[in-house]
Amino acid sequence: MGFTEETLEKTGQGEPDWLRERRRTAFAAYERMPMPSRTDEEWRRTDVTGLDPAKFATLEHANGHKQETPKLPAGVIFEPLSLAAHKHRQLVEPLLFSALHANRDRFAALHAAFFTGGNFLYVPDGVVIEEPILRQHFSHEGGTTVLPHTVIVAGRNSRFYYLDEYIGEEEEAGYRSGSAEIFVGEGADVGYVSIQKWGRHAWHLADQRARLEKDSRLRLFNITLGGRFSKTRVEASLVGPGSSAELKGIYFASGEQFFDFHTLQDHQVGNTTSDLLFKGALQDTARAVYAGLIRIEKGAARSDAYQANRNLVLSEHARATSIPMLEIDNNDVRCTHGATVGPVDPMSMFYLQSRGIPATTAKRMIVQGFFGEVLERIPFEQARTLVETELEARLG
Amino acid sequence: MADFEIRDLRASVDGKEILKGVTLAINKGEVHAVMGPNGSGKSTLSHTLMGHPGYTVDGGTVTFKGKNVLELEVDERARLGMFLALQYPVVVPGISMTNFLRTALNAKRGYDGKDKSKMISPKEFRSMLKGELEVLHMDDSFLPRYINDGFSGGEKKRAEILQMAMLKPEIAILDETDSGLDIDSIKFVAEAVNRMRGPELGVLIITHYTRILEFIKPDFVHVLVDGKFVLSGGPEIANRLEKTGYSEWAEADESAVLKPEEIA
Repeated sequence: MGFTEETLEKTGQGEPDWLRERRRTAFAAYERMPMPSRTDEEWRRTDVTGLDPAKFATLEHANGHKQETPKLPAGVIFEPLSLAAHKHRQLVEPLLFSALHANRDRFAALHAAFFTGGNFLYVPDGVVIEEPILRQHFSHEGGTTVLPHTVIVAGRNSRFYYLDEYIGEEEEAGYRSGSAEIFVGEGADVGYVSIQKWGRHAWHLADQRARLEKDSRLRLFNITLGGRFSKTRVEASLVGPGSSAELKGIYFASGEQFFDFHTLQDHQVGNTTSDLLFKGALQDTARAVYAGLIRIEKGAARSDAYQANRNLVLSEHARATSIPMLEIDNNDVRCTHGATVGPVDPMSMFYLQSRGIPATTAKRMIVQGFFGEVLERIPFEQARTLVETELEARLG
Repeated sequence: MADFEIRDLRASVDGKEILKGVTLAINKGEVHAVMGPNGSGKSTLSHTLMGHPGYTVDGGTVTFKGKNVLELEVDERARLGMFLALQYPVVVPGISMTNFLRTALNAKRGYDGKDKSKMISPKEFRSMLKGELEVLHMDDSFLPRYINDGFSGGEKKRAEILQMAMLKPEIAILDETDSGLDIDSIKFVAEAVNRMRGPELGVLIITHYTRILEFIKPDFVHVLVDGKFVLSGGPEIANRLEKTGYSEWAEADESAVLKPEEIA
């Protein structure tokens, strides 16, 4: 058992040689690299000793359930990644795993070697798609591995919205990812939302990484609800002047869930803006670790970066840790960061209850209100409604 | 027995005894004013009556509709018919005033998210709101805003009275409602309260200054000093305080009239 060369060859069956070769390289990296240990700074508070991906070596080929897709304008390519790799090699080959690197760690390598399903979206220059593109990724059985990968390419001055929704059965175990590479071309405007709802016993490790060209805008919303263990890296590189990234996160953890977020606001050039806010609520014995880095390179003058992580701790035994980090090599920048961890404000509870609202309802309203400032920024209604509904259901 | 009876109420904050035995009987239809200098225990009285978690009851009873209010949760007291207009209304981000008002009204009607027949209809809700907004000279632009978020002092106090008007309590406690208010706001607030006055409502106005009593005429005035009532009587007491302040009670030599520069 375990992930073998045989599994690898089977996974890559029918794919073009360049892609199969890439899978092999990633697989070699997977075999070569050790599991991250707690002596690595990034994994110090994140314990993966209980994880052996080989236990879940059966791959599910979740090709992205074909939903009703809006009529896409001419020139737009929207296909399963493996098909796009054949038909549009010149587009896919240079970008696939160019933002996310297989050799970053063992899990990234596993994902790059065995990714199954996922989509490729290419929106040509100047094309605007009003209707959001909605994608659902399902897992169908416990004990398996599901590794969807999304590649989004936004041409110059294009504008569109995209939703990746990852759905598993509540009680399902297994190994899951759900990664995305987003290339935002000059002047493009992209809204991307991911909602992670894998089963409550699943291990989830994923990377979302964007690259923003001149004057482009990305609004990325990461919603994390599922998994017994979930580690997500959300990273944006601002490589063109005038680009701006809004990175927002919502997480709600209960029971024994453990969530880890690692974010990067990477200002490589000047006159760039990043605005990050991750808000989470934790109940029961759930735990969250947030570590966020703002990196401003030497030449990136007049950059503006904001980073905040806010945690609402709803029970005595839930815990949240927040680690903001700055690496600034230029003095002519504006940089703000902050983190809070605290319970529901007793004054707010008193106020709502003093109007006859029962404690449980009051608490739910306050938690919903806490998420409100992020919810209302979600750039398209379908995603906003979906997230609201999910949160309501979880808040009970 | 009066409709709302406070008997020998004693309460403390952080281990410090503040209320040292307060007894007061309020009937519906009456307006009582509790006046007192700073630190006399006025806010402790209002917050203890409503069940604020920062105040500890050390003794006494508060009886309303056959129940000892002090044994009830805050929300149960409210649903029983009590209302507290706060001196410092709380800002609650993320919850709109509309959602707040609607949820409070539904809670009062016993709607728990299941029996939709108990839920207030959007139409009824809107028409209720409209009337009350007019009386308080408020427009509906504040309804989608978060609870008290970015409200001016006057808006906050008017919003408190709006909540009172919507929830129609039987015992309303107005805690320093006139503090920080300009004269127009006081008039609007007083007009709204006076409209609600009647055989179904008992009011307890808690105030340092006599000013609000010019607009909402009390039937009874009680002077609270150092956690106890030192004087109770009719509205004439307010007139007396207007002249002499709290100087009769040596330790509390404070005026009961706002100096012009203190008027917001």
